[in-house]
Parts: sequence; C-alpha cells; structure tokens
Amino acid sequence: MNVPILSLVLATPLVGALVLAVIPSGQVQLIRRTALLFSLVALALSVVLVFAFAFFGPATIQLQTLGTPPTYPMSFRYTEAIDWIPALGIQYKLGVDGLSVLMLLLTTSLTSISILASFGPIRERVKGYMISFLVLEVGMIGVFMALDMFLFYIFWEVVLVPMYLIIGIWGGSNRIYATMKFVLYTLVGSLLMLVAILATAYAFQSSHGGSWTGAFDYLSLQAWAAGGHFANELQILAFIALFLAFAIKVPMFPFHTWLPDAHTEAPTAGSVILAGVLLKLGAYGLIRFAVPLYPYAAHTFAWPLIVLSVIAIVYGAIVSIVQPDLKRLVAYSSVSHMGFVTLGIFVFSATALQGAILQMINHGIITGGLFLLVGVVYERTHDRTIAKMGGLAAAMPIYASMFGFFILASAGLPGLSGFVGEFLVFVGSFGVAPGIAVASIIVMVLAATYLLWMFQRIAFGELSEFLRGLGGHLTDANRTEMATLVPLAIAIVVLGLFPSLVLDFLRGPAQSFLAAVGVAVGG
Amino acid sequence: MNWSDLGTIAPVVASVMVAAAVLIVDLVQPGNRRTATATALGGLAVVAAIVLSQAGRSESAFGGSYSLDNLTVFLDILFVAIAAMTILFATDYLQPRDLPIAEFAAVLIFAVTGAMLVAASTDLLVLFVALELMVLPGYMLAGFARRDPYSTEGAIKYFLLGSFSSAILLFGLAYVWGLTGTTRVDGVAAALAKVAAGGTLAPGLAMGLAFMSAGVAFKMAAVPFHYWTPDAYQGSPTPVTAYLSVGPKVGAFAIALRLFVGALGPLKADWLPVVIVLAAVTMTLGNLVAISQDNVKRMLAYSSIAHTGYILVGLAAYAGGQHSGLAAVLFYGAAYTFMNMGAFAVVAALQKRPGVSSQIATFAGLGRRDPWLGALMALFLLSLTGIPPLAGFWAKAYVILAAVQGGGWLTVLAVVAMVNAAAAAFYYLRVVVYMYMREPAEELAPSSPGRLFRAGLAIAGVGTLVFGLFPAILTAATNAAAVFGG
Repeated sequence: MNVPILSLVLATPLVGALVLAVIPSGQVQLIRRTALLFSLVALALSVVLVFAFAFFGPATIQLQTLGTPPTYPMSFRYTEAIDWIPALGIQYKLGVDGLSVLMLLLTTSLTSISILASFGPIRERVKGYMISFLVLEVGMIGVFMALDMFLFYIFWEVVLVPMYLIIGIWGGSNRIYATMKFVLYTLVGSLLMLVAILATAYAFQSSHGGSWTGAFDYLSLQAWAAGGHFANELQILAFIALFLAFAIKVPMFPFHTWLPDAHTEAPTAGSVILAGVLLKLGAYGLIRFAVPLYPYAAHTFAWPLIVLSVIAIVYGAIVSIVQPDLKRLVAYSSVSHMGFVTLGIFVFSATALQGAILQMINHGIITGGLFLLVGVVYERTHDRTIAKMGGLAAAMPIYASMFGFFILASAGLPGLSGFVGEFLVFVGSFGVAPGIAVASIIVMVLAATYLLWMFQRIAFGELSEFLRGLGGHLTDANRTEMATLVPLAIAIVVLGLFPSLVLDFLRGPAQSFLAAVGVAVGG
Repeated sequence: MNWSDLGTIAPVVASVMVAAAVLIVDLVQPGNRRTATATALGGLAVVAAIVLSQAGRSESAFGGSYSLDNLTVFLDILFVAIAAMTILFATDYLQPRDLPIAEFAAVLIFAVTGAMLVAASTDLLVLFVALELMVLPGYMLAGFARRDPYSTEGAIKYFLLGSFSSAILLFGLAYVWGLTGTTRVDGVAAALAKVAAGGTLAPGLAMGLAFMSAGVAFKMAAVPFHYWTPDAYQGSPTPVTAYLSVGPKVGAFAIALRLFVGALGPLKADWLPVVIVLAAVTMTLGNLVAISQDNVKRMLAYSSIAHTGYILVGLAAYAGGQHSGLAAVLFYGAAYTFMNMGAFAVVAALQKRPGVSSQIATFAGLGRRDPWLGALMALFLLSLTGIPPLAGFWAKAYVILAAVQGGGWLTVLAVVAMVNAAAAAFYYLRVVVYMYMREPAEELAPSSPGRLFRAGLAIAGVGTLVFGLFPAILTAATNAAAVFGG
C-alpha cells in the first residue's frame, strides 16, 4: 500500500484553508461548513491511519491480549521522505509510531470539535478564523509526524502564528496582552531550540566526514545519540535549549505564567486547542526529542525536573482553589495535570511513561471538555466569575450534569480515564521515588477539592441574582453544544474502562524511549 | 586598457547608459511619466540580461581593479532588482506629490551603478570612487521631496554623516596605501599576510585599518556608527527609504566582502572579536530602541540596524574560519532585500495620499480595509521576525548555522542573535496587532495602489515566499557567489 497517507492527512486542512480563501467572506454558513468538512476528512483519514497502524503492517498490535507484550515495531511506519534542501541533508520526512498516531487522532478530533464549537460564538471575521484554525491544524499534525529536525522546527513555528491571531483577534478584552505574552514566551524558547538543532546537526556532520547526510534526520541522530557519540557539553547545552522550548509549551513550573492569560483571553475553541493539543506539543517534544537525543543530559537533569514537576502539580492545584474565574481555574488545573505528564517522563519508567502519555490524551479530552463547558455558560452570561453563578443545576439540568461528569473525570474518579493516567504515573514513579509519588498523589485530594467546590458553587443552591437577571437567555445546552461534548464524554468512559486500547500503542514508544535513556525495560 | 575590458564592465556601462537614456527621454518628452518609467524599467531589464550573460565568468579588467566573478553577478542582479522595485514603488508616491519620476529614476540608477561598481572593485581607490557614486545620489534621493522639511532635514543629516564617514574611510585607505605601497586588494592582502605570518603590524597600518573599518561600519549602520539612520530613513520619501534601507546597506556589505575578506583576510583572527562585539551590540541596541518606536518607518529603521547585526554574525563566522558564513551573508542580504523593501512599500502605499503619517495608528484596521495590503505586510513582518517557512527564517538559520559551526564565542553570539530575534517579534507583531486587532480611530479609504506598485509588491512578496519555501534556489547562487578572492 503506497498511498502517502501522512501527507494526505497533512494536506487536507491545508487544502481546506486554500478553498476557504476563495469563498467570499459573506458566505458565513458555507465557510463554517467547509471548514468542518475538511477537518472531518482529516479526522476520518487519521482514524483510518490508526486502524491501519493497529491491524496491518509489519507487526500488528494484538489489542485483545492485555497481559502479553505484543511483538512490537520499534520503528516508525508509513515514512515518506523527499529531499528538500539537499546541500544540508534536510528532508521532508514524515513517519509515525504509536505515540504519533494517538497524538494525531487527538489533534484531528479536537480540531473538528473546536470548529463545530465555534459555529455559534464566532460571528465576526469567520473566514479568517476558520483559515487560522485549519492552518493551525496543519502545524500541529506536522509536529507530530515530522522525522526531520528542521521540518519539525518549521511546523513548531507554524503553530505559533495562527494561535497568535486566534487569541489576538477573537479573544477577550485583554487579548492583545495575552497573545503577545504567549508569542514572546514561546518564541524565546523555540529560537534557542533552533540554535540547538543546528549545533547538534553540525556535531553530527563534523563526525561524519563533513557530510550533511542524516544530520537533521531524527532516526540517524537518535541512533548516533544511542551510541553515546554526542559530547556531554553539547548534550547539556542543547538539552537546556530544547527543554526550555518544550517546558514553556507544556508549561512546566516556573514557565507557566503565560498560560492563564492565554487561556482566559482565548475564544473557547482556542482554549480547547491550546489545552488539548498545544500543551501536548511540549510534552511530545520532551519524549520524542529532548530526552532520546541527549540521554546524558536527561539523566543529569532528571532529579531537578522531577522536583519541578511535583512543584507544578502541587502549586497548580493550590492556586486553582482560589481562582475566581472559571477559565483561570481550569487553566491552573492544567498546570497541575501536566505536572503528572512531566513527572511520568522524567522518572524513566515504562509504566510511568505510558501513564504520562495516557494522561496527555486524557487531559486533552477532559480539559478540552471543561473549556467547552465554560464556553457554553459564557455564551449565555458573558461572564465567567464563579461568585456570580449559582443554581445552574436547576436552570440548565443537562448542561450541569455534563459539567459534573467532566469534573469527576478531571478529579480522577476511578472508572473514568483521568484516573488511569495519574494512577500509572503514580505506580511507575513509586519505584523510583516513593516520597515524590506519594506527595503527588495527595494532590488528587486537592484536585477533588477545587473542582468539586467550584462545581458546588456554580451548580447548586438557589439561582443567583446575576443569573436570574438573564431570564430566558439561560437556556440549556443546545444540540450543537451537546454534539461537541458527547464524543468527548464517550471517550472518557471508554478510555477509563479500556485503557489498554491506548496503552498497547504505547509499549513500543515506551521501550524505545527507555532504550534511548539506557534504562532496563520493565521498570 | 584593452577593448575586452569594456566587455567585462558591460553591466556598469549599460547601467550608466540607461540612466542617461531616461534623462534624454525626459528632455524629449518632458513630464511624460509613462515613457520615463518604461525606459527605466526596460533599461534595467537589459542590464539584468547583460549581467546574467556574464554568469560563470571569472576575469578582471583594468589592471585588476575591476573583478568579474560570481559575487559580482549575484550582487549586480540584486542591485538591479532593488532599483526596479524602488521605481515601481515610487510611481504611486511621486505622482500625487507632483515630483518628477524621470529625475528620480535617473538618480537612482546612477546610485545603483555605483553599487554595482562597488561589488566588483578590487582596488581601494576604485572602491572609494564607486562608493561615492553610490552614496551621493542617495543624498539627493533622501531630499527628493524638496518642500517637505523632514525630507530636507533627513537628507542633510544623511549627507553630513555620510561625508564624514567617507572621509574617515578615505583617511584609512590613504594610510593603508602609504604603508603597503599598493591600492590593489590582493596587494594589500599579500602585505598583510606577511604581518600575519609573524611580522609586526606597523601602528600606522593598524590605524589605517581601524579607520577603514569604522568607515564601513558607518555605511552599514552598525552601532555605534548608526546615528544617521533613523532620521535619514524617517525623513526620506518612503520609496526612497525602502531603497536606502537595502541598496546602500547591501553595498556596504559588498565593501565588507571585498575589503575584509579580500584585503584583510589574512588578519581575520584579529578582527574576529571586533566583529563579534559589533554584531552583538548592533542587533541588541537596534532591537531595544525599535521596541519603543511609534512610527513604523522609524521602527523599521531601527530594525534595519538590528538586521545589520544579524548579517554581521555571518561575517563573524567567516572570520572564525567558516567559509559558509559568506554564503550566509549573501543569503541574508537577498532575503532582507525582498522582505524589508516590501515592508517599506506597504508604508508607502498607505502614504499614497499626501498627509498620511507613518505612525503605527495608521495601520489600525488595515487588515479589514485593505485585506491584500494587510496580508502582505503581515507576510513581510513575519519574515523579518524569522518565522518559517519564509525567506527571513532561512536567512537567520544559515547565519546561525555558520556561527554554530565556528563554535566558542560564535555560539554565544548565535544565542544572543536568537534572543534578539525573539525580542524583535514584539515590535513586528505590534504592527500586526494594529492591522488586525485594533479598530481605527477614523475610517480611512482603502489606498488602492496602482498597477506598477502592485507589481513591485508582488515581486517582494513572491521573493519572500518562494525563497522561504524553496531556499535551495537561492543557496545555489549564494554558494557559487561566495567562492571568490579570500
């Protein structure tokens, strides 16, 4: 089967953006539907890819055999490569492994949901908005599929511009401050990453007789790194640069301060993508690039980074408790939840890493859902202050029960997906650092506190003065809104009950990750 | 001299003839803008064809004072493109202000002839004369809007500091000539090679070299020799600013290549620290001051100072022993030409109606008012920021790659450059914020640029985009051009 499926997935939103560009901007409904159509095609293609990845190919995943480790392909599949800048050995090279396909599926599904969720709230400059969203999707998909460091960097930067526009044009009252902060933070990290990528490539080139072939190729770089060929100083410096770029994106404490502003000001769908996918780009970068390429540095910094992760988990949770704004609360809870992801990465254990990746997916789904829910109430009240709400359960019963469900998932209720990821990280890190693991798991109590307390304040009791003033505007969630929420809710239940659906994809990536850092598999 | 020398310098001859032809056409048909413009553009096309026909040749003329190699061809093409774009941008600006296009085009083509001669000169005296031919018309262009006091002020400042720096450069040349006994670049290089091989550097020669370097730094607007730039750029008619920001700057880098690489090549280990410091200071100061500007022309003026700093990184990498630094300098020069001229051109388009200021507030709501103009401006600004996949990104990437290859302090310089690039995003994107995220105080009419103007914008836009998507097209040329003299 020689269909360039990865390029097809990548090209679909791009073609969509071009098609939108020629539709007159007055045809709002047509623009919305076309954008949704293209995002759904990308989603369908990525579903096909996931199934093909699981059931066909060099070694299939045995989804039904939970206990026995499948004979797993360590390598990337569906790779495509075309020379782009031959003089430097830079290629247009794509490929996916189990981690990539899951991230791809997360991206395409959340993009479709976000576009659908924008039908109501976005009424101004719809064309520019939808084009931005599709270009954003191109960048995100590209990051997850690129196997050339330069190509990866380019997609990484491509993500930046549409998000800058989405927050800056369609955002809230303080949007310009927020979007500038977002861009500047991200750019500082990513430009230093460029220096590191170039320095790494040059180190590779100079030890290969001055030939640039493979100097930007992820696979050859990783093989070279696995042989311990990169000098320790280079590893330390390059790791710092890459880590900075990724840690800002995740965001790890203390690089998180852009996040609450960006989330608060972004339009609902922007927040969904920001939390659901953009933060995952950072974690993906750590797993895929920063650690495997510079294992010596990763070991050197592992402990400080574990400590930073725990600080993020605790700090995010504590700060969430006192947030007066619904979106800010969810944003700070993201800092806490993403702390579990980085913790799972840096303890170098297969269980914890799989938990971390599962947590990435869960966080994307659950937090994406929470932002959608906040968006629903904001549409009706144009306010997000928790203190002004109250009694929503009576006024919007379906909405409130949906909200409650996502709250429980986010708090880590066993049986729902949020629990599994954090639990696996806990189990995995317990063997390495019991104290740290216990400290982080106690935070689950804090999480329950801030989430349930928030829910109690907005949903129960008498209908608040403010909400009563809105009268008939306070309608329950409509069909479009439910259409965005129900798929996410189903995913939460399914992943909660059958986490192996995801975990089986991750065994191979986890093994190669641990092989790269030189830790015996099974830990 | 023999007759074949004339064939070697054919582009320069042709360029002078085009300038003369424009003047003659204007004499025959006074005030006919259309024919004057057509003559100038057609003539430039002929010059470009002649230059291209010389590609691949490597020879010298007039006793080794003019050298034709791939570097000459590359820079000549760039200069012709700069001249052509400037004329296209000037059409819309000059007419409403009732300023003559023929004189403008003729003066401009003379300036560009000087630049072409600079690119080819391998003799210190020819270099100086060529330089003067390049900058003198520049002063006239800066003061072209005679009735505008700002234009006059800018021109006078530009003239005074420009003459001053020329004098410094000449002073340095005189010392070098006196102490090496030759004005030929390769002769100077041979004399300095002896010094590098263990001889002592005579104090007078060192002083001469220092003066020469200061003169060149003036011309390329490197800090602390940059003070003329903001006033000259802000006061000049905007299409002239577009030209001044690229033409003389690329010209100054051409001098740097011929002089530093050709003549001072043997001493490069000595001037490496100087260039590193110059580059770091230039980009940092340019960016810091640009951040606080509310006038887009002035902001772009300071940003052009910052870009001088980035280009100097390539030169520093060369001094650090990385020949790829030269190709990076050339790539940067070409990419910068398209994106920077484009950005100034959009400012010029807004100022088509006299009286429109270049304050940032003018840009409010541009994205809605003039969607194409807004999108192009965003493209140029993103490219100047260094966002892939645009030309400006590759320019930075190549410069950084060369610096990283050098290692040591050059790596530190690379990091400084990237931190600077991130800071620069603030002021570039601020314009985008105004264009797309702020509502204008008063509703202005769309600026509806003319056909020629749009053609110029298209050239700049296509250059920025195509060199971004397919940088290999340009690197083939820069790599060939970087193999010369030193």
